[in-house]
Amino acid sequence: MISTLKRDLRAYGAIVATVPKMFMAYSIWVWMSWFVQIIAVVILVAFWRAVFSNTATVGGLDLDTTINYLLLGMIFRAGQNTDVLYEIGEMMRDGRIGITLLRPLDMQATYYVINLANMGLNTLLSIPIALFAWLAYGLSLPNDPLVWLAFLVALLLGNAVMFCFDWIIGCVGFYSTEIWGLSVLRYGFGLFFSGALIPLDMMPDWLRTIASVLPFSQALYLPVSILAGINPVSAMPRIWLIQLGYLVVFLVASRLVFGRALRVVTVQGG
Amino acid sequence: MIEAVNLTKVYHIPDKDPGVRGAVKALFRPRHTSKTAVKDVSFAIEPGEIVGYIGVNGAGKSTTIKMLTGILVPTGGQVRVLGRDPHRERVANARDIGVVFGQRSQLWWDLALRESLTMVGRIYEVDDARFQRLISEFSETLELKELLPIPIRNMSLGQKMRAELAATLIHEPRIVYLDEPTIGLDLLVKERIRAFIKRINQEKGTTVVLTTHDLGDIEELCRRVLIIDNGVLIYDGSLETIKQRFGKYREITFETAADLNGLDVPTGADVLEKGGRTLSLRFDRTQTSASRVSASIMSQIEVIDLSLKEPDLSMVVKQIYQGGLKETA
Ligand SMILES: Nc1ncnc2c1ncn2[C@@H]1O[C@H](COP(=O)(O)OP(=O)(O)OP(=O)(O)O)[C@@H](O)[C@H]1O
Ligand SMILES: [Mg+2]
Repeated sequence: MISTLKRDLRAYGAIVATVPKMFMAYSIWVWMSWFVQIIAVVILVAFWRAVFSNTATVGGLDLDTTINYLLLGMIFRAGQNTDVLYEIGEMMRDGRIGITLLRPLDMQATYYVINLANMGLNTLLSIPIALFAWLAYGLSLPNDPLVWLAFLVALLLGNAVMFCFDWIIGCVGFYSTEIWGLSVLRYGFGLFFSGALIPLDMMPDWLRTIASVLPFSQALYLPVSILAGINPVSAMPRIWLIQLGYLVVFLVASRLVFGRALRVVTVQGG
Repeated sequence: MIEAVNLTKVYHIPDKDPGVRGAVKALFRPRHTSKTAVKDVSFAIEPGEIVGYIGVNGAGKSTTIKMLTGILVPTGGQVRVLGRDPHRERVANARDIGVVFGQRSQLWWDLALRESLTMVGRIYEVDDARFQRLISEFSETLELKELLPIPIRNMSLGQKMRAELAATLIHEPRIVYLDEPTIGLDLLVKERIRAFIKRINQEKGTTVVLTTHDLGDIEELCRRVLIIDNGVLIYDGSLETIKQRFGKYREITFETAADLNGLDVPTGADVLEKGGRTLSLRFDRTQTSASRVSASIMSQIEVIDLSLKEPDLSMVVKQIYQGGLKETA
C-alpha cells in the first residue's frame, strides 16, 4: 500500500515537474503578464478610490479593506482560474487526448496535480505584483500564522471544488469537441461571482445569495476574505465544512460524468 | 494475446450548416451522419508475432488500433488484450502496451529528449538501473546519443521518430502498436527503424502490430498480414500465400515504334495501361508465357524496347486494393 503510494507519487511528481519547465520555455509571456497585471492594479485602485470619494463604507467595508481584499484576490486568483477547460478543449481538438489516455495514470488525478502545480507557480509569479502593490499602495498582509494556515486550507479546498466543477464542464468537450463558448461563460461568471471584481459583501442580498450558492466563491472570496480580515479565523471551521460538502458533491459528480464521457470520446486524427 | 471479435466502430459526425445560423441550428436540432469505419472485424494475435495491418487511406486501420489500445470504445463487438478489456481497464492495459502514432508525438515539445525519457520512465515506474541500461541500449540501436540533449521541437522528423520509439519502449511493453512509424522518413532511417523493431521482437519477444503504407516495412518485418478495406477485413493470413496467389501474374511493358491502335491483345493477357507508344500488359503465367505474349505483340507492331517486371509486393497489394481478392475468391 505504502509502496504503491510512493510509486504513484513519483509518477505524478514527474508530471508536476513538467509544468515549470513549460513556463520557462516562454519567459516573454511571463514578462507580458506582469506588465498587464501592474496596469490592472493601478486601474483597480484608481477606480475604487473614486467609488469611495464621498462615502466611508460600502457594504460595511472601508476603502483600505476593499482595496486590500481585491489586491489579494488578484494575487491568489489562480486557485479559482483553473486551466482545465482550456486544456481539455485543446486536447480534444487536436487529438492529444489519445496520448493522455495511453498513460497508465488516472487522467483526472493527473490534471489535478497539474492544476496544483499551476496554481503554485502562478502564485509565485505574482510575487512581483504583490511587491508592487505593497510599495505603491501599502498592501497589508496578516502576521498571524494561524490566519495564513486557515487561508491555505480554504484555498486548497476551494481550488479542489473549482477543479471538479471545471472537470464536469470540460467533459462536455468529450461530446461536442467545441467548448469554447462554454468556457467564455464559465470565466465570465467566475470573474463576477467569485468576488474577484467586487467583494460579495457589497452585493445586494439576493445577488449575494446566488454568489454564495454558486461554487465560484469557494476558491476566491472564502479564502481571501480571511486573509483580508473580512472574515475572522473563528468563522473558519464552519467555512471549511461548507467547502468539504461542496467538494464531496462535485467530486462524486465529476467522477460520474467523466466515466460516462470516456465512453463517447473520439480521438481525432490518424 | 490480442483478440478482436466482430469489432465495429460507427462514428457520428454532426452535420453543420456553415455560419453562425448553422451553429445555432445545430445546437437546437443536432443532426448526425453515421460513418461505419470498422465493421465486424475479428482476428487473434499470438505472443511474439509481428502483424502488418494494411489498407488504403481511410480503410479503418487507425480506428482499429485506437480500439485495441483502449482509447476508443467500440460501437459493437469485443476486444481483449492480455485477458483484459482495454477500455475498462485502461490504466492496467496502458502499463503493458506501447503505442506510436506516426502523426503525433507523446514527448514534451519543449523538453530535451533526456528529460522527456526520464519523465516517461517515472510515469511507467521503470527502476533507475533498468532505465539506465535501456537508455544506453537505445542510444546504440537507435543512435540517440547526440539527440539526448536536444528538445523535441528542434528535431527533424526522422530524429523525432527515433526518439518516439525509445519513449514507447522504455517501459518494455509486451505489445507495441505502431501506426505508420515510418511515415515521411528517408530510406536509411526506415532501415534503422525496421532493424530496431525486428530486434526488440526477437530479443524480448515483444508482440508488434504495425500499420504502414510502406510495403518495404511489411516485406521486411511481417510474416502475417491483415488487410482491411472500407472497414471490412478482407484478408488474414501469411504474406507468402497472397504473394503466391497473385504472383502468377506478371507485368510486361512494350515501347513501340508507331502509335498503338487496333491491337489484338494476346490470349491470357489483360491491358493494364495503354497510351501513345507504350503498352503495359498483365498476364497469367499459368496460361501463357512472356515469350508468347511478346511474340504476339511483335508480330503486330515494331517493338523498340520491352521490360518484364518481377512480381513484387506492391503489385500484389495493388491488385488486392483494386478488388483482386474478390475476383479470385
Ligand atoms: N473522429 C472521427 N470522426 C468521424 N469520422 C472519422 C473519425 N476518425 C476517422 N473517421 C473516418 O473513419 C474512416 C477510417 O479512418 P481511419 O483513420 O481509421 O483510417 P486509416 O485506415 O487509418 O487511414 P490512413 O491510412 O489514411 O491513416 C475514415 O473514413 C475517416 O474519415
Ligand atoms: Mg491512419
